[in-house]
Amino acid sequence: MFKKSMWYSILVIAFVGFVILANGFYQAILVTTQANPQPTSESAPLESAADLTPSSKNPNTIQMLILGDSVAKGTGDEKSKGFSGYLSEYLKNNTSKEIIADNAGIDGLESTGLLEQLQSHRLEEQLTHTDIILVSIGGNDIRSILTLNSFDKENEFKVRLDRYLSNLKLTFKELRRTNPNSIIIFLGLYNPYEKATNLVDSQLLNSWNFNTQQLVETDGKAIFIPTYDLFKYNTERFVAQDGLHPNSAGYQAISNRISRSLEMIIAGL
Amino acid sequence: MFSLIENEVIKMISKKRLLFVIAILVALISVFAYGQHHSSERIKTQLSQRMGISATTDWHKLADQQLIELKNRLDSPYRDEKDKSALRVRIEQLQYNLDNDINPLEQSAAKFTTKFMEQSIFLFLPLLIIMLASDMVSGESSSGTIKLLLVRNVPRWKVLLSKFLTLIMLEIIVLFFAFVLSEIISGLFFGFGGWNAPVATGFKLVAGKLDTSSVLNVPQWRYTLMVYSLAFFVSFVVGSISFMISVLVRSTAASIGIIMSTLVAGNFISYFLSDWKITRYMFMVNLRLTDYLSGSFQPIEGMTLLFSILVLLGWASASIIISFVYFTKKDILV
Repeated sequence: MFKKSMWYSILVIAFVGFVILANGFYQAILVTTQANPQPTSESAPLESAADLTPSSKNPNTIQMLILGDSVAKGTGDEKSKGFSGYLSEYLKNNTSKEIIADNAGIDGLESTGLLEQLQSHRLEEQLTHTDIILVSIGGNDIRSILTLNSFDKENEFKVRLDRYLSNLKLTFKELRRTNPNSIIIFLGLYNPYEKATNLVDSQLLNSWNFNTQQLVETDGKAIFIPTYDLFKYNTERFVAQDGLHPNSAGYQAISNRISRSLEMIIAGL
Repeated sequence: MFSLIENEVIKMISKKRLLFVIAILVALISVFAYGQHHSSERIKTQLSQRMGISATTDWHKLADQQLIELKNRLDSPYRDEKDKSALRVRIEQLQYNLDNDINPLEQSAAKFTTKFMEQSIFLFLPLLIIMLASDMVSGESSSGTIKLLLVRNVPRWKVLLSKFLTLIMLEIIVLFFAFVLSEIISGLFFGFGGWNAPVATGFKLVAGKLDTSSVLNVPQWRYTLMVYSLAFFVSFVVGSISFMISVLVRSTAASIGIIMSTLVAGNFISYFLSDWKITRYMFMVNLRLTDYLSGSFQPIEGMTLLFSILVLLGWASASIIISFVYFTKKDILV
């Protein structure tokens, strides 16, 4: 009797299960093969945003172009201003000219991506007329080696650094090809994980910054702005909730530093 | 026919093998659920150490900020159209978490149930199926009871078919228990919710690269259903192959040994011979079907869900044909 009822319940479960699973199987095939089911409607407003960028050089304006990763973009700033906000505010207060800031920062961009972005000539228009170029890149190149063990870390670091430096060299070449006269501000890397970092990691980061600075110096009109020292004992104050990006105060601190370094140059623009 | 299947099922029940499989499931799921619970606790403490206590408890703020960032990113004119659907999917998930007050760091029974099957589809589940399948015929041969089956006035193919259908039913039963047990056991650890949370799927392979342009969110229950359906397909294929071996080989031990070693070998063959194209036609490297859903597969040109399913289907149908032809033709000397 017990076996009989067991047999019936197995039969029922198996039958119902089969129907359900067959249905699921069909859905699984559908979902991986079917064409894009999502509506792509947001192309119209993007066009107009691109149109806003002025096409000719105006003597009464200072144009600023911000390139690079999330830090360039201003990720983490709770006021959503970033450099395009704070730096243009400063410029506005210290010159009589109008400030136009273009922000082309992309979260998660690595040096390879920046180079591709420039080589694709999508930014050609803005690049030719800009007076100041602010670049922040490299953080995403170096970040992922943090999780490696110490042996792999040093090897991988060398590989990444070499790739990064050669990308950077080409990036500068590309920038100078389109715009030989603008001033390039290059941001150094800070360490958002100050509390959880050992000596080796700090040294690697410093050698990364040092190599970057050496390369930036080879360009005659570029300046390397360090941020490492600024953040070292200020991570609590300057790093955003996400534990990685600067917060509003952090962006402001870096912007202050940039404007101090460029006072004379800005006066001459 | 019906009574033949009934007979087979009752045989399987009284052999206690199914009970054994369920016991293994209970033990393993408990261990995994505990492990998951433990590691999620650890991640939380690590996070709160690194980013301050607020990061884990006050996740709303963080998620809000992320959401704003993502929306900004979506509006950026410098972004490729291709990346955008991945962003939209991410936004939907975050929005859901916020709306329903679900901490993304928390596990849920639904997540665990799915994850468990995703992890066991290529080795653990096949092993369970092998335990059931590989003595279905060879067990009768080695104990001699096959004579009693075949002297009855039933054609041989019917005998074999009843065994095969029984196997399919048992596969469903195993999946049913895997689902129910992991839901119940992990529910005790993580709570029983989470079935409506959105899960990203719909990844594609275009020109050798993972293409996220058609990614979309499906509710967790639908995703779980798809995972278990693919798991059923895998167990059907593995079951058919070990069924064939059990027809061909007389001793149960040999039959379990053969199929198990093939399966285990298949798991590292893809590491060693990854650039050798013929390996993609082996059934062992095609078992990770759920990876196509989750987008976590290694992009290999030409390997898609449909390809893997067709390869597996080829193996299964070949094994079924071989088993039937061999079984109806062979001389049985006991």
